[in-house]
Amino acid sequence: MTVFSTCHKVIGKQYIALSLFSVFIGIFLSLVMRYHLVHPDTKVKLFQLLWPDGAPGGQMTPELYLSLMTMHGTIMVFFVLTTTPQSGFGNYFLPLQIGAPDMAFPVLNMLSFWTTALSLLTLLAAFFVEGGAPLSGWTAYPPLSGLGKITGPGQGLGQDLWILSIALFCVASLMAAINFIVTIIELRAPGMGYFDMPLTCWGWFVTALISLFAFAVLLPGGVLLLLDRLAGTSFFIPGGLIVNDQVQTRSGGSPLLFQHLFWFFGHPEVYIAILPGMGLISTVLSVFSGKRVFGYKAMAIAMLAIGGLGFVVWGHHMFISGMSPYSSIAFSVLTLAVGVPSAVKTFNWLATLWGGRLRFTAAMHYALGFVSLFITGGITGLVLGQPGLDVYFHDTYFVVAHFHLIMGVAAVFAIFAGLHYWFPIMYGRFLNEQLGKLHFFLTFAGVYALFVPLHFAGFVGNPRRYPDFKEYEFLKSVMPLHIGVTHAAYFLAAVQLLFLFNYLWSKRRGALAPANPWGAATREWRND
Amino acid sequence: MAIAILIAALAGATVALFFQPRWWFPDAISAHAKAYDAHFLFTLCVIGAIFVFAQGLLTWVILRYRDRGQAPSAHEGNNTLELVWTSATAVVFLGLAFAGQGIWAGIHLDAPAANALRVEVLAKQFAWSYRYPGPDGAFGRVDTRQIDDASGNPFGIDAKDPAGRDDITGAILRVPAGRQVELLLKSRDVIHNFFVRELRLKQDVVPGITIPLRFTADTPGSYEVPCSELCGLGHHQMRSSLVVMAPADFDAWLQEAQQKAAQP
Amino acid sequence: MTNVARSAQVLLIAASSMLFAAFTSAMVVRRGIGGDWAAPPLPAWVLPTILFAPLASWLLHQRRVKPAMAAGAALVAAQIALLAHFRMAVIGEAFCAVLIAVHALHAAAGVLALGRFGASAAIFWHFVGLLWIYVLFLFGVWA
Ligand code: HEM
Ligand SMILES: [Cu+2]
Ligand SMILES: [Cu+2]
Repeated sequence: MTVFSTCHKVIGKQYIALSLFSVFIGIFLSLVMRYHLVHPDTKVKLFQLLWPDGAPGGQMTPELYLSLMTMHGTIMVFFVLTTTPQSGFGNYFLPLQIGAPDMAFPVLNMLSFWTTALSLLTLLAAFFVEGGAPLSGWTAYPPLSGLGKITGPGQGLGQDLWILSIALFCVASLMAAINFIVTIIELRAPGMGYFDMPLTCWGWFVTALISLFAFAVLLPGGVLLLLDRLAGTSFFIPGGLIVNDQVQTRSGGSPLLFQHLFWFFGHPEVYIAILPGMGLISTVLSVFSGKRVFGYKAMAIAMLAIGGLGFVVWGHHMFISGMSPYSSIAFSVLTLAVGVPSAVKTFNWLATLWGGRLRFTAAMHYALGFVSLFITGGITGLVLGQPGLDVYFHDTYFVVAHFHLIMGVAAVFAIFAGLHYWFPIMYGRFLNEQLGKLHFFLTFAGVYALFVPLHFAGFVGNPRRYPDFKEYEFLKSVMPLHIGVTHAAYFLAAVQLLFLFNYLWSKRRGALAPANPWGAATREWRND
Repeated sequence: MAIAILIAALAGATVALFFQPRWWFPDAISAHAKAYDAHFLFTLCVIGAIFVFAQGLLTWVILRYRDRGQAPSAHEGNNTLELVWTSATAVVFLGLAFAGQGIWAGIHLDAPAANALRVEVLAKQFAWSYRYPGPDGAFGRVDTRQIDDASGNPFGIDAKDPAGRDDITGAILRVPAGRQVELLLKSRDVIHNFFVRELRLKQDVVPGITIPLRFTADTPGSYEVPCSELCGLGHHQMRSSLVVMAPADFDAWLQEAQQKAAQP
Repeated sequence: MTNVARSAQVLLIAASSMLFAAFTSAMVVRRGIGGDWAAPPLPAWVLPTILFAPLASWLLHQRRVKPAMAAGAALVAAQIALLAHFRMAVIGEAFCAVLIAVHALHAAAGVLALGRFGASAAIFWHFVGLLWIYVLFLFGVWA
């Protein structure tokens, strides 16, 4: 397999490899965070070894915690959830499923991948520069992110690299989006209409459309932010600031403007992460219940509706930001409206199972787990979508629980389902089914144990993005809960090694797969 | 099979957690907070019912249609069903959206009371300061060059403005019970967030703009104020207190503070 | 021109339009709330560059790809010269500089595309011309 390949299958695998690498870094960072949250005063040699400045003598500083958090979030959102379901699976299977010889622009495809890889390297480089990685979170709100070193360590070169990385990622995603859409519009097999495509293709199609418009807005946001930092402009920096006792010379900028640009991208981004998974889950449920997808057309239309409505709900991330309280009302109604097509999809999944003959393969386990997690994570959106209620939960662990379940874990379950389902095509062998199911059971229990209790930290009002909870009387009561959650995190991370082993082992030694082992009807399984 | 049991068990455990008394909202100390709790409970019942119904259905379907050699049915869609569940969820979800507007309006849209106590709130990395207008009811002019945290003038109150001479500043927010308070939230550097759990209120504090936030606290006591918007490495230590006092105690405190402020 | 080339250009145009829409709305918002807005000064020689769009499109219509590329390169050069006029600390000028720079990137990409794909990159090229009229209008008239 050549490194600079233009073959869609190779590129698909490269994307998957990139995000497999990323997810283990992301998990490692989260374990370090979880450890620190419950042992804030323990000195750890390893921390000192990895981050000599951030953990002098092994004692983690708050800025190190915040930078790990920023990198964890950024890696997970961009290099895992945006990468495997769309660019990884999509590149590999979209051409196969619609009967195209390759993507429409193979060279552009290669460029997209290598730009993504460059973006990842740029991001990771932030760990190694003076001041370390940025601490302003994956949302990077100015002025904290817009004034340079003066606002904190990591806010110098580290934050510059972060913005550069995101800008590169935008460019890569825009190129990929154009490639996907053109492929779907122009290269479908003769006679295949849009409504003849498998729902996976619909997922990739709608995701590419969303990417095209969302990343085209994040990119300007990043450019303007970078200029505020490097060229002394005042797009987002208001006048009269005194930071760290130093008077700033900017004037007239608006911090909320950045939030609007960011979330105009940011909300659609969660659909970028989940829509390919939704398409895939529909397929897996249908294949292993021996039935066609229930309400195929409704499912495709629901995806379009989610994609479209997804662009008019960004304000629900800004209910407490100081924007007009009247616009909150509109955003709230629209937000709950976008819940409707999501619920419709859940009903259709259940109806697909209904009356079927369910075969419990490993892939089917993950797909069923996905549905359960989608319900658990989605339902709290009905709380957060109401500005009156969000006023308490915003920026607490309730939100951490909500988005980890719906966007993090649900999407990751779709990835697991996809890998088990398509492994025979990718490598001619099966992922070990027994091991896969064992991994499923442990992971499924683990994520519930990890994330459900965090809602309750949210009920107590526990703010997120805190490196420790020592300062507050009311947070003392939450510590036992956090200790339990941290243990769940260790457990969950440990069982991921089962998957890693299964993946690496099965690639070479797994049971050989016959053609179309699952009895699927889509084109990628045909041997022509 | 096993997966159905696991889903049911985990969903059951999730529901069971709601019946433990330990990790829950602190007691409400205002009429708004009580209205909040009532609406939250209502929402919780609705989503709890949906949750149990959906996870239950999933469990049941898995059990009922597990492979026992039966022939799968040929259903592949039903427009009436689609219409029914689309409109049913639309009614429930949008109903929730409208039902929730009341408490939102209570925070931001209701007209302020005429006798509201106005307090300016200043956030900076990583501390809070509060300013009361004093007997003249007017906040003194601010001159950023006169800002001096060390000598107790974080606001930069202009020494030349007579309206500012009687202003009272401090690091704790003291308010009388039963009277409306109007906070004027300002930040000097980055975005912070003012959060009082017991009031069920949270508001970002954004540099460059002044954001009003009104509340009427009823129960005397001391309540923690944790900064709730990431503002830098001291974010988790940016703590303050709201002290709600009986009106008589508050008046006594205010008088004393004014006397202190009047002495040069 | 193949359908594939046409679709790709239409999508590229959609993405670029979104990009410019984002910059524009940021500018509208920023102008409305900053209280420090002043129209950026544009030198008089900018005016004739508006002719670039009809000229380049006309050349392409005549299938004269090389001259069209030359016109594009001239525009990019003019834009780079223009950038020197703006002070980044003044918000109106900063927006002007950013939009001109982003447009210059588009124009340069357009020139390269003409070189690589010849007249089949024409649609994007027309768009670049129109976009320049838009940018000039934005700063010459609206701002
Ligand atoms: C092993 C599983 C995981 C664990 C233990 C974990 C743990 C954490 C922790 C401790 C935080 C910091 C919370 C705070 O201080 O506010 C965090 C934040 C975050 N996580 Fe995870 N996480 C995991 C998986 C994921 C996945 C799969 C995603 C993909 C969506 C993800 C996305 C994020 C994001 C976006 C943030 C927010 C970062 C920020 O506040 O800027 N995490 N996670
Ligand atoms: Cu959102
Ligand atoms: Cu803070």
